[in-house]
Amino acid sequence: MKTKRIISIITILLALCLSAGMLTACNESNDNGDNGNAPAGNGNNPAPPDNNPTPSDDFDSSRRISVFTREDGSGTRDAFISITGVGDDMYEEAVVLTATSEIRTSVAGNPYAIGYVSLGSLNDTVKALTIGGVTPSAETIIDGSYAIQRPFLIVTNDEKDADPLVQDFIAFALSAQGQEHSSTNWTSAGNTGDYTPAGLSGTLKIGGSTSVDPLMALLRAAYIELNPNVNIEISGGGSGTGINEATSSVIDIGMSSRNLRDTEKEALNEYTVALDGVVVIVNTDNPVTNMEIETVKDIFTGEKTTWSQING
Amino acid sequence: MVRAKEKVMRGVFFIAALASVLAVALICVFLFAQGLPPMLRIGVLDFLTGDRWRPTAAEPSFGILPMILGSVYITGGAIILGVPVGILTAIFMAKMCPKPIYRFLKPAINLMAGIPSVIYGFFGMMVLVPAIFEIFGERFDMMSGNSMLAASILLGIMILPTVISIAETNIRAVPRELYEGAVALGASHERAVFKVILPAARSGVLAAVVLGVGRAIGETMAVRMVAGNQTVLRMPYEFFSGVRTLTSNIILEMGYVERESLHFGAIVATGVVLFVFILIINLLFSVLNQDKEAR
Repeated sequence: MKTKRIISIITILLALCLSAGMLTACNESNDNGDNGNAPAGNGNNPAPPDNNPTPSDDFDSSRRISVFTREDGSGTRDAFISITGVGDDMYEEAVVLTATSEIRTSVAGNPYAIGYVSLGSLNDTVKALTIGGVTPSAETIIDGSYAIQRPFLIVTNDEKDADPLVQDFIAFALSAQGQEHSSTNWTSAGNTGDYTPAGLSGTLKIGGSTSVDPLMALLRAAYIELNPNVNIEISGGGSGTGINEATSSVIDIGMSSRNLRDTEKEALNEYTVALDGVVVIVNTDNPVTNMEIETVKDIFTGEKTTWSQING
Repeated sequence: MVRAKEKVMRGVFFIAALASVLAVALICVFLFAQGLPPMLRIGVLDFLTGDRWRPTAAEPSFGILPMILGSVYITGGAIILGVPVGILTAIFMAKMCPKPIYRFLKPAINLMAGIPSVIYGFFGMMVLVPAIFEIFGERFDMMSGNSMLAASILLGIMILPTVISIAETNIRAVPRELYEGAVALGASHERAVFKVILPAARSGVLAAVVLGVGRAIGETMAVRMVAGNQTVLRMPYEFFSGVRTLTSNIILEMGYVERESLHFGAIVATGVVLFVFILIINLLFSVLNQDKEAR
């Protein structure tokens, strides 16, 4: 009887805690509402950092940095850790999330957070840091001054590269019509001029990086519209799979969101269909606007753990 | 003619019964055939008790002890939070609830069961995680609101409909004579419910808890959105830190991993461990149940 009573009291307390938690959270989401949810437009002109709402004064720089990272194997993570030099030493306490949107949501909801997303999926719920003073944008990515960037490659082996249909598709992807799609959410590396359909028919097998996949889906739809007799099958599997299968002729064209290694370059021809920047993002309340690439590395390896150790 | 029909129908029923058994058997075969060899290659002991999970490092290590403990902690937390609320709700609904409230409560709980787990995950991510960070973040120097606590609260909510509906059904199934006998002997309504009906429905309530545990330990989507997914070995009192569960470990890296690599094998092997876990829990509770019935 007594234990039952204790259980019921505990339960009531828990229920109260829960509802209290929800109430405070509701208030908070109202605060965040001011920041707006509208996307910053397309990847060519993401909102520059200074356009963001002013950082709040009660940012406590003695607080711990909340580090958000992507899961092992993600293309964005691969690019990020290899360029910043984090390598295999990713901070163990970093929160692991599996999607760009989750990283963005988490950083937007936590004033002390830092994370990284693809430039194409940046919006003004979060603030993009300049790296070494360089604002991430299409221009700084093309001229190479923005360091954290990766190419979206399509690769073929020599046998497939001689195939007229493969050649035609690659010509389309690099043409003005194809690159139009590359510059929707990513950055175009320039185009080879107009494409005219050659009226070919057949089936193309394309596979590999899931990061390149959304772009490939756009290219596929546009290409099939111009060449109704061509059938294109797209499969996933990641950059590694795409490179392997393209080398062994299992597929016609491989997709990769990382640079080829030297041994892979010997076996494959590569074409850059787009460039993608990886942007380091913080909460809009955070006064920090710029970071050196070494600082980014120190944060993501867990060398620096509080905001007071970071000086702008 | 009739006999032939009967035979055919018997066969049909037999095949239908066989289908589910076959499905379970196939899953077992697949899991163990794919999962055991990599586990042996890593070393069963290294795999189960290793505390480092670095599948893509230059020198990879595959230890899933942090994930095993993570699953245990989060499930335990969910049970501590969810089961008392669930059972008391079930008692209220079965024995004490006025009709108008019941008419509202029952569909509300059914609706709760129908909400997809990704929605719970989003709720956890947008509401629970920031709230926990706001309340406890500074005091406990939290990495973020993504924590065991967040996952346990969310799972505690998610197992409610399962626990409530099974417990309610079982409490209702207790013969009315027991209640009437208790009241006739002078027990109050509450006393009769807690002292006579609840003990009589014990095995059913236990079954509700088992299903709750099963739901909690198998939940993937919502948990990976709020639990933090760090592969760090934690102690049970560190519930303000994040952990990775067995389920999250599978789903997190499944999308990218190369087939036939050791990493892929290690992920399937994680599934084997999860499967064995669920087998043990089911076995444990059926043994418990039998004890109760024998008494």
